[in-house]
Formats: sequence, C-alpha cells, structure tokens
Amino acid sequence: MSWLPLPATATARDPFDRVFALRPNLFEAWRDFSALFWTRRLLDPVVLELCRLRVAQLLGARHPQSVRTPEAQAAGLSESRIAALTSWWTSDAFGETERACLRFAEQFVLDAKGITDADAAAVVGALGDAGTVAFVEALAIFDGFSRFCCSLDVGASR
Amino acid sequence: MIAARVKAPATRSADPIQASPLALQPELLQAFLRLYGTLWSHGELDQASKELARIRNARTIDCPICKAIRFKGAREEGLTEDIVDQIRDGYQASDLSARQKTVLRYVDAFLASPGEIGEDLRRELLAHFTPSQVVELTAAVALFMGFSKIAVALGGLPDAIPVHEQPTPAWPVTP
Repeated sequence: MSWLPLPATATARDPFDRVFALRPNLFEAWRDFSALFWTRRLLDPVVLELCRLRVAQLLGARHPQSVRTPEAQAAGLSESRIAALTSWWTSDAFGETERACLRFAEQFVLDAKGITDADAAAVVGALGDAGTVAFVEALAIFDGFSRFCCSLDVGASR
Repeated sequence: MIAARVKAPATRSADPIQASPLALQPELLQAFLRLYGTLWSHGELDQASKELARIRNARTIDCPICKAIRFKGAREEGLTEDIVDQIRDGYQASDLSARQKTVLRYVDAFLASPGEIGEDLRRELLAHFTPSQVVELTAAVALFMGFSKIAVALGGLPDAIPVHEQPTPAWPVTP
C-alpha cells in the first residue's frame, strides 16, 4: 500500500494504476508509450520480459515482479525460466542473446556509464541498430518505473 | 567520450532529436514526445521544480546533453543560473528553499536507494506537494533518469556541451 494518501475516487484494482491515475493524462501517455514495445513487437517479448523482471529484481520492486506480460507468456516464457533469472549468470536456461541483453540491462540499472563497448556490441549484434534503440528505451521505462514503484511503495498486484 | 554504439539515421534534419538514433524508432519517438510534452506542458507541478529535478539527475547520471539544456518555461518561472549553480553536492547548506531542497533529496534517494524513502522525506514531500504532484514528480524523475541513461548508453556524445536554452517540450509539437 502506497504511503501517498489516495482519494476515495482512486478505485483501480491494480495498485500501480491506482497511484499513477492521480495524474490521468500523464498515465495515459505513459501507458500508450510503454505498450508499443509489446504490441508492435519491436523486440522478442521473451527477451524483453526477462530483462523487465531482472531489472525489477535488482531494484527490489514488488509490483513489476508480480505481473506477467501476456505477450511473453504467449511466446512461451515459463515460470521455471523466470525462477532461474536470479542466477542467470551461471544458469544454462538462457541463450546467447538473452545473456547479452541481461548483462546490458544490469549494467544499465547499476551505472549506464559502465556499459562497455563489448557489452554494447553484443546487444547491437543480436538486435541491430533499431532494435538496440528500442531495447534501451524499454530499459529506461523498466528501470525508471521500477524505481517509481519502490519510491512510492506500490505493492504487488493481486 | 563514449563511442557511438549505433548509427544515427541518414537525414538532413536540423532537429537534433530527428537526427539522433532515437529516430530509428519513429513510432516510439512520437509516443515519447507526446509523453514528455504532456509531462512538461500539461502538468500540475510547476516547471521550475521539474527542471531542478531534471538537472540534479543530469549531473548525477553525468549526461552531457541533459546537463547543458535549460528549458525556457522554468527560466520564466525564475529558475536562474544562480539557483542552478546550487544544484550540487552540499546543496543542503545552500540558499535554496526548503521546497527546492526536498526535490533534490527526493531525486538523490530515487537514484541511489528508491526502496528506502524514509518517513521524514515522505512528510516533507507531502508538506510541499499534493499527492498528484508527488506522482508527477516521481514519474518525471523516472523519465529524466531513463532518458539520461539512454543518451549515455548509446554513446556518441561529446564530453561537454555549452549550456543553452530550449523551448519547453510541448504536446502537440508546434513546428
């Protein structure tokens, strides 16, 4: 439960929606932007979902860890692979592109300046230039709005 | 300087965004411009507070382009370079107002340890801002941080860019 005093009119079921809807026009523009990564299939939804969840794990963000993106589920991402994410460095459950993207995503969260040319080249090699641009924009949203959830204490979705 | 990681599109556009790698994803770019324009020009929080937060984030993430920009609307609300000069480590002892210091403390906490926003800071935020303004400030810092990191991660920026004023982002974009 967020520490923000919410008005009685804040009745959305999902706690993230309940909080962000305090700024409705901004929430709507954010939702439309964030949905494009999935609806336009700008990237492999499994890679994207793994990175979204890993970013949320690193930051300890409960809400984004509690939700699953339908596009990734439809693409076959299993809960057993999600469970292996916490040890992806040593797990054999992840392919080369997934590992390159996870490595880049972790460094993006911790210190974007620390992303090496080799880390970046591995992602560009796997996703191409336009795919890499979509990927870093997705990471910006995952990182920024996982922190949003932590800062405002947005709890897990039911 | 970090080398460019991707190639910007071939264009003769004088618009720095349209000439940047972000233009490789035109639909995302349009949606982002709408989001950013909504944040800046259709908000409930004053522009000077958002600009304080943006500049604190830019200096912490160390994004050359974000550090160099000053948005016109915030300047018109009184955010002078004298104030901007105080957005540095040690700002607690500066002449900034209590409200301004609260914004900076919140940005610092968001960037360093967002899960540890303590009772004191929560109380301060609610003393200076309405709940919807706190949401807007938090979303603003999330976007500022994310897009500073994008600029850093994609590379290709000079180490320093002269400070310059830009129009406040708006939506719809006016030519």
